[in-house]
Amino acid sequence: MTALFIDEYPAEARVVKAAFLSSFIAFGIGALFGIIQALHRTDIFRFLESDKYYTVLTGHGVFLIIAFTIFFLVGLYQWAVTDSLERGPVDIRFTWLWYGLMAIGSFLAGISILAGFLEQPPMVLGSELRANVLFTFYAPLQANPLYYIGLALFLVGTWLAGIDWFRTWWAWRDENPGERIPLRTFMVLTTMIMFFLGSIGVIVAVLVFILPWSLEITESLNPLLTRTLFWFFGHMIVYFWLLPAYLLWYTVLPKLSGGRLFSDPLARVVFILFVLLSTPVGIHHQYMDPGIAEGFKFIAMTNTMFLLLPSFLTAFTVVASMEHGARQRGGKGRFNWLQALPWRNPAFTGMALAGLVFAFGGFTGIVNAGMNINYLVHNALWVPGHLHAQVGTATALTLMAGSYWLVPQLTGNRLVGRQVALFQVVLWFVGIVFMTNSMFRAGLVGVPRRTAEPQYQGFEYDVAVGSMGELNAQLALGGTLLFISALLFLTLMLLTVFNNDSEPIVDGTLPPALSGPEDSPPVLDNLRLWFGIALVLVILGYALPLAGIVAQSGLFGQDIQPFPVSSEAVMYLEFGLDYVGALIT
Amino acid sequence: MHTSPAKLLILIALSLVILVEGRTVLAFFGIEIAPLETALIGVVIIAALVIWAVRPLRGSPSESE
Repeated sequence: MTALFIDEYPAEARVVKAAFLSSFIAFGIGALFGIIQALHRTDIFRFLESDKYYTVLTGHGVFLIIAFTIFFLVGLYQWAVTDSLERGPVDIRFTWLWYGLMAIGSFLAGISILAGFLEQPPMVLGSELRANVLFTFYAPLQANPLYYIGLALFLVGTWLAGIDWFRTWWAWRDENPGERIPLRTFMVLTTMIMFFLGSIGVIVAVLVFILPWSLEITESLNPLLTRTLFWFFGHMIVYFWLLPAYLLWYTVLPKLSGGRLFSDPLARVVFILFVLLSTPVGIHHQYMDPGIAEGFKFIAMTNTMFLLLPSFLTAFTVVASMEHGARQRGGKGRFNWLQALPWRNPAFTGMALAGLVFAFGGFTGIVNAGMNINYLVHNALWVPGHLHAQVGTATALTLMAGSYWLVPQLTGNRLVGRQVALFQVVLWFVGIVFMTNSMFRAGLVGVPRRTAEPQYQGFEYDVAVGSMGELNAQLALGGTLLFISALLFLTLMLLTVFNNDSEPIVDGTLPPALSGPEDSPPVLDNLRLWFGIALVLVILGYALPLAGIVAQSGLFGQDIQPFPVSSEAVMYLEFGLDYVGALIT
Repeated sequence: MHTSPAKLLILIALSLVILVEGRTVLAFFGIEIAPLETALIGVVIIAALVIWAVRPLRGSPSESE
């Protein structure tokens, strides 16, 4: 039995546990909002007015794809850096600082969203406290400034987390000159380079345009510009959700399979490709937006298709590693080796099934990325189908499965209900297939997304297979299975945390790759080079489209009024300025 | 048993997935299966899998992994 992470690094384990706790709280709230939506929009069970649906929808998005995923990411990455460099951060107080900023930011954004359930939300910073602006917060939809302040703090915290891991690596490099970057740390650092670069768009959008506009410091903004800056960040963030799952697939899944990673260099190439390609493709989310020339959209589409390469490389490497593991366990034959895999292990099975859904969901992403066929599914239920297959399963199911392996090492407690955990991951797999299948089919006949009332009076969808009633029933069934699965996961985590009188049976050591870093050129570890190339690609991809948008409507647009409009905000701001002025004079 | 409970669970899950997605694929070829028929096929497949799984191995009372 090897030493547990909590025994070797107790201070760092506390940070990881705090991050996971935040992640799981967000997951619980987001999952609850998910089942409410599934039952509401299918008209099977409604207990909220439809105008509250958008509060639920915003909460579902923000709590799950911002808080759940990114809190888990920072926890997982803190573990990965500490364990692979065999040292803690330079200053653990700095580590708690970024966690604290992220937690405060989430809290502020969270209460801004939840206040939307109140009949009369309180006035905060000059306007009603609410944020029914959905995950994308497209202007002229306007939230309370507190929501944007919360998002900004969360982003600052995430940036500082990245800086913390870089500082740790620099300290390690000084102690280990000439050594190659350990693979897990390499994955963390490249992910954060990608995040630093890609999040510039949303930081500018929030701090320069949207927050001042919500505080009525500026009178107007350019919605197309802020949307484009959002999607500058918005496609990169997809990989920010996904790369923690990749880290687990590349480093933990081979070990769980009974073998070793097939190729360390190939894993490094994959992460470098994400640094280079993930940001200059965001315009493919805006094929339907007027004001961006078709040529730029075509270039974005072409770049997007290149992103298939790292996904295919990953599929090859991870499956090869699993096959190696299965053969180490006595597996034989062309396909019979599959039977030798440890299907009883919920951590393995969850990750393997998540990978299977990822492959399928990836092909639906090709539809989204194709300019002409995107017009068919744009803003249709197809898109949430894709999103639930990718982030809702490839990422979420992998993170849950990874928790079954990691949480016992962080707590020193044995996982409670191993068989229930296996049932939980399989239930998620079945639930997501039921739900996404109905979403894809409904999306193909034009059923819209992001609405509480997808059925219009006097209009029937021409459903190709079955009926709308059947599609709705299937969506609600899938959503219910997912919700039950989420509850099971959270219950098992809670029981494991309190399972103090036990010894974990997990082995936390990770074997070296079959083909190690020594088989690759050192240039792969030249992070400055990859950052430089990525920066050039981003400038090439975005400089002209952004210049065109600004040339058309200006930096701040032309008298774009917010929705909902708040006249009180002006009054409070004027009063505040008068008050400050009086104090000064 | 012919297989372990864990593998049986995975096989049942994969059967359901193939059933749901397969029904959609078949519709592209003009072969439409009603929801009730699909559910019945699912029950038959799951029952067959369970019977196969719990059937004792010939000449060996021990369970396989």
